[in-house]
Amino acid sequence: MSRIQDTVAELHRLPGVKGAALITNDGMVVAAALDDRFEPEVIAGLASYLLMTTQRCLAEGGLGKATHYVLTATHGKAIVETFDDSSLVVMVDQFVDLGRTEAEVREAAQRIRRASRIA
Amino acid sequence: MHLIQRMKVWKELRQLEQRAREEPSPSTFVDLGQVYINLDMHDKAQRVADDGLALFPRSAELRQLADCARRGTSRQRAADLRARLTRSPNPKTYRELAQLYIDLGDAASLHALCQEWSVRFPEDAGAWMAIGQARLLNFYRDLAAREGQEAVRCLERAVRMDGKDAQSRRLLGEVLYRIGAVRSAQVHLRALQELDPADAEVEALLRHVAGLADQGDDVRALLGGVEEQGCLVHPPPPVAASAPRQEESVARVREGLATVAEIEGVRKATFIKGSRALVKGAIRDGRDPFLRVVRVVAKAAHRFARRLDIGNASKTVVDGDFGHICVCVYGDALAGAQCDRGTDLDLVMAELQEVVAGALHMVAGEGA
Repeated sequence: MSRIQDTVAELHRLPGVKGAALITNDGMVVAAALDDRFEPEVIAGLASYLLMTTQRCLAEGGLGKATHYVLTATHGKAIVETFDDSSLVVMVDQFVDLGRTEAEVREAAQRIRRASRIA
Repeated sequence: MHLIQRMKVWKELRQLEQRAREEPSPSTFVDLGQVYINLDMHDKAQRVADDGLALFPRSAELRQLADCARRGTSRQRAADLRARLTRSPNPKTYRELAQLYIDLGDAASLHALCQEWSVRFPEDAGAWMAIGQARLLNFYRDLAAREGQEAVRCLERAVRMDGKDAQSRRLLGEVLYRIGAVRSAQVHLRALQELDPADAEVEALLRHVAGLADQGDDVRALLGGVEEQGCLVHPPPPVAASAPRQEESVARVREGLATVAEIEGVRKATFIKGSRALVKGAIRDGRDPFLRVVRVVAKAAHRFARRLDIGNASKTVVDGDFGHICVCVYGDALAGAQCDRGTDLDLVMAELQEVVAGALHMVAGEGA
């Protein structure tokens, strides 16, 4: 558990990253490191809605499962990496180097997968 | 409001917010917004109205809610500015507050404010301009000669006090030519052009005015004539014909979609506005799941971004076993593409952005 929290905290320390949270599919927070402006429960609830809605729609259309998600908004971006029953949500600012940060997020997701298997 | 009442209201708010999330409809958003308005939380009501309008852009009741919330926010802002003026009066704050009163249609407060403004800063022409602007609005609405006379008097005084104030000159020039005093109007419009020779709008206005018949410079008589006839003498300049026509927009969208579909790796592409969609690529019919996925992804992303206060979600990319689904949103127009792994996503997103930008003037009503 502490390795997952460490991974999430490491992500938060990256330039341009405003916060990271590991959430379950039903909107519970497993680990989070976020700027003060973001509430972990709010991020968890909204990300859960976003992912479940998308996954359900993809499944109904026979398209399979979404594994990675990048949302670009006017004042920020969100990168989401999905696991079987949870997801890693990373909030970044609008100026971040997306390619580099996505690579870091994928690497962090691998570490979380490994840590979850050991736990 | 005592504690128990407050707790009840918060409980009701939570329930309404949940309802708006789970069963979004104009009435659920309006109910929620109304509670926020009752609590004087107009900014939250405004956000609820914006969220609702993003999902139901044609809802009249949501538009009313947005208007009510906007007015509430303006009133709160006006109260703040009023308090600030009491502590430290300055022309900039007077100007801002006057504009708020004009927007709110609060003539009594505006009049009192401008009196105070002109007593404290007698050299500042702003108070006369603000009163003139408010009177002018009334004149254009009712075509009452008396309002017109007051508007012209105040604007002329503002121009005399500060000949470099472009807004007073513009308003005065416009009202003068609309009532038939074309030559007098040209004097002000030329002075306006001298202030900013690069202003294309003023140049177009001068060209428009040059072709109109002058009916003298007796403003009082001209205004009387307008009131009697019930209409202004000259029309405003025609709207610049830069906006492409609907057919051109549709053609542009079709071309844009064809360009997207030609990118290597792109399997399907669509443009959606309202209930209609234009499609390119391997799409069977309107029931193709890809179309629904594009709509759902755009809506969910919009809600996520707005609730987290990071603005409007303009681009979304979803990866999975199916490859990539890219969605680009501008206002109520969506463009989406499904592509294989390894496709140049930057290029796809750039082309989708072109498609939605090119469709700004398109009216929903064209389908595939």
